[in-house]
Amino acid sequence: MKTHSLLLTALAFTCVSCGTDAPVVRDSPVSSEPAATPPEPVIRRLTESQYESSVHDLFGEDSVLPLRIEPDIEQDGLLSIGSAHNSLSPLGVEQYEEASFSLAEQALAPGPIRDAIMPCQPAAIQDADCARNALSTLGRQAWRRPLTNAELDTIVALSGTAADIRGDFYLGLELGLGTLLQSPYFVYRVELGEAAPEGGRRYTNNEMATKLSYFLWNTAPDEALLTAAENGELTESVALNTQVERMLDDPKARQGFRNLISEMLALYELDELSKDPNVFPAMRTGIGPSAREETLLTVEALVFDRQDDFRSWMTTRDTFVDQNLAMIYAVAAPNLEGFGPTHLPDDGLRSGLLGQVSILATAAHPVSSSATLRGLFVRNKLLCQDIPPPPADVDTSIPEPEPGALTLRDRVASHLENDFCATCHSAMDPIGLALENFDGIGIYRETENGVVIDAHGEIDGESYDNAEGLGRVLALNPGYTACMTDTVFGYAEGHRPTLGELGLSEWLLERFEQEGYSMKSLLREVATSQAFRTPSEVVQ
Amino acid sequence: MSWHRKNGRLFLDRRTLLRGTLAGGLISVGLPPLEAMFNVNGTAYALDGVLPKRFGMFFWGNGNRPERWTPSSAGLGSDWSLSESLQPLAALKSKLTVVTGTDVKLPNDAPHTSGAAGLLSGARLGNILDDNSFTAPSIDQVIANDIGGDTLYRSLETGVAGSNGNSFNGPGSKNPVESSPFALYERVFGDTFREPGDTEVDPMLGLRQSALDAVIGHIGSLNARVGANDKIRLDQHLTGIRELEPRLARLQEDPPDLAACLKPGVPNNAYPDIDGRPQLALVNGVMSELLAMAFACDQTRVFSHWFTDPLNDLLFPSASAGSHDLTHNEGGDQPEVQANTVYAIEAFATLLTALEAIPEGSGTLLDNCAILASSEVSLGQTHSILDMPILIGGSACGVLKTDHHFQSLGGENVSKVTLAIMQALDMNVNEFGTDEAHVTEPLTGLFA
Repeated sequence: MKTHSLLLTALAFTCVSCGTDAPVVRDSPVSSEPAATPPEPVIRRLTESQYESSVHDLFGEDSVLPLRIEPDIEQDGLLSIGSAHNSLSPLGVEQYEEASFSLAEQALAPGPIRDAIMPCQPAAIQDADCARNALSTLGRQAWRRPLTNAELDTIVALSGTAADIRGDFYLGLELGLGTLLQSPYFVYRVELGEAAPEGGRRYTNNEMATKLSYFLWNTAPDEALLTAAENGELTESVALNTQVERMLDDPKARQGFRNLISEMLALYELDELSKDPNVFPAMRTGIGPSAREETLLTVEALVFDRQDDFRSWMTTRDTFVDQNLAMIYAVAAPNLEGFGPTHLPDDGLRSGLLGQVSILATAAHPVSSSATLRGLFVRNKLLCQDIPPPPADVDTSIPEPEPGALTLRDRVASHLENDFCATCHSAMDPIGLALENFDGIGIYRETENGVVIDAHGEIDGESYDNAEGLGRVLALNPGYTACMTDTVFGYAEGHRPTLGELGLSEWLLERFEQEGYSMKSLLREVATSQAFRTPSEVVQ
Repeated sequence: MSWHRKNGRLFLDRRTLLRGTLAGGLISVGLPPLEAMFNVNGTAYALDGVLPKRFGMFFWGNGNRPERWTPSSAGLGSDWSLSESLQPLAALKSKLTVVTGTDVKLPNDAPHTSGAAGLLSGARLGNILDDNSFTAPSIDQVIANDIGGDTLYRSLETGVAGSNGNSFNGPGSKNPVESSPFALYERVFGDTFREPGDTEVDPMLGLRQSALDAVIGHIGSLNARVGANDKIRLDQHLTGIRELEPRLARLQEDPPDLAACLKPGVPNNAYPDIDGRPQLALVNGVMSELLAMAFACDQTRVFSHWFTDPLNDLLFPSASAGSHDLTHNEGGDQPEVQANTVYAIEAFATLLTALEAIPEGSGTLLDNCAILASSEVSLGQTHSILDMPILIGGSACGVLKTDHHFQSLGGENVSKVTLAIMQALDMNVNEFGTDEAHVTEPLTGLFA
């Protein structure tokens, strides 16, 4: 059972303590990593973005990706967790099959991709040695491990038959390459472990290369990692630390962390951002992707350039805007095209993640803001707390507003006056009301219907006056740093911490704190932990 | 060997290829004989004079206003007339069944998802806080497993505005929804679609079958190493491959000559939103034509069309707020919610009209279908799953009564409607649903 659900189960039955749970009280500082009991290891399907980056690693950025691959389904707040649990649909299988041959055809047509990937020149239509050489090289990259002789035999034979029928070596090789790319060994990350020499289990060297690479880079292992794996280095602590340092310093670590944040905040939903342009004249095509890029650039600069305390994500006024966002934020755009850094006014209410369009516009309705959706976002995503759904068969309509109910605070008052609704809404609405100075797309406003907006409130006993205050209170909320730790862990492992991993999760948080909440340190800590290297046994 | 050149690619004469494959040339180690993948009795397309029955699902989200939905009287023909909400179906009344008064009997513990799971799968959700997955297959898949096997596509799942749908093969296995008419066209009527008389066969098709054999081998070796949950997942992957194999085989057979089958025109590449509002009716119209022709060309016998999703907050053309927002925050008797419901029923009428326009046998394609339309709730405001809105278009070849309003006065189990539809499609089933949704009797009043 996941810790996430534990909290929830209690809430679901009582529905009284939403969000009021006290932070876990920890014993004296823990110095060494506690033993953990992880759940059984499972195979994880490459997410869409991992599939895309892995294909680009194989064939270069010029390879044209297939139109459609089975979409990812989020579970426990992350696509990476869904990818460890959901099954592929028949349509997904069909799409992989078609994509494999489309990519193989592109890669082996005469041209630069073929020149780059072929390790040999075929001597004739039938050249089993060259076919074997090519499939063994490409197979090792695609499957992230060397192929066995038996595996190669089958695929080389297929290529030979196809070369005969199609009358061309490369047209034959297409069949072999297409087989590699639709194989479960490409499509799934197979990380199941082996018996460790010192007893117990460990991930194999090649599995470590794959785990590290998709965790820190969101793509397939590079040649250095594969070589380190084949030299047996990734099961050794010193060499592992060296590789992790190298990986964190590589620009690909930025791309990896951007993906983590994109999953955590569901930023992919910004592609579908829909707002009524009559209500929000600032709405135009491209606002959604702009807003996503701002959030990703901000977090990238915080973690990799400034290397700040990660809690400042909630409070920073350093951000990046393009023309779209500059208009919404009423600041000067640094560049005519694209993004540039900007510092938001120090006397304004807009600061931190919760001041960004990516959050303000998605946690809202197409025509208005929403205190409930915004509060739910903070509880779900930033504090890792779930709120039970409203009970069914209850009239959920808000009573007709009183003539004097001009602000959202007045209109949702009934949520909070009715004890039944208040049990859950009191955990959400007051947080969302703090953001009422930003309308449904994120434009600042002082009044609603001519009435000055009152944005004060409190969360878990800490009060604030407005959005900027909410950010400062959240940064110091122990639930926030604990949530970040568990999210990073869940992204790495494909599941949220389970009961057998609670001590580990607390220890990671401890380490995060000791390292001044440096996100790079947390990534390093997770990647080099014993837990990351140690699976439990598969129960057959 | 005899080669043809088409679109810059070489094609092998089909007979030559078949000789080659049957001689064992493409078969790799330890795998079943290729001929086993071909349809042995060749009935894939031969309809043998009996028209196949088809099933379709039309789903819209956020329910209805029951007081403006239920026809004022029940019965057949002139005994009943269409309610205000059902007016868009006026021209199709003679082909329509309206079922009112049936309930989802399972606990309604997660608004919008309990009702969807109860109606569509006859089973409760696994975990109300992690409600991404049904615990049992949805009815479109149960039906497709029975009647969908003889066609190129066991089932098609479509939408109009990025719907996620609720078509499940089983727990954790959801079928993605195609919302792009162009992509659906490419898949069903694109490169691989051949008209009768077109005998050119791409030799890659046979070769791709043999590649699948190798992939099946990989799944087998991986399966031996994984735990119980992964075995289920890999089994699902294998199911997908097993569907793909006969499809590749059938693409090498001569296409059937079906009188009503006409390759449809190519849809637009995109249908962008206008003023932040998706062009729901326009895309639905194009999708409806494609789905009707997919039936007429016998490319599939089952579709589920997810017009809108449960809980969707889409801005409908003249609405002042998102669809879900309105169900809870519009006051009075909710005229905008009502308008959105009517809009969905207009879309359902468009779909039925497309099926009705295609002659088949002595009647129309619609006569040989059962097209079920419903939503995850009745009154969205209270998330009620009592008195579910149920419409059925077509008679499944005369088995179901039409021009019929069946009113269940005792609040019968909605699973009985599902079971009746399955039996009308000649499925040999005598029960549907689990727990409170379990029934062993169909709603016999629907049968002619």
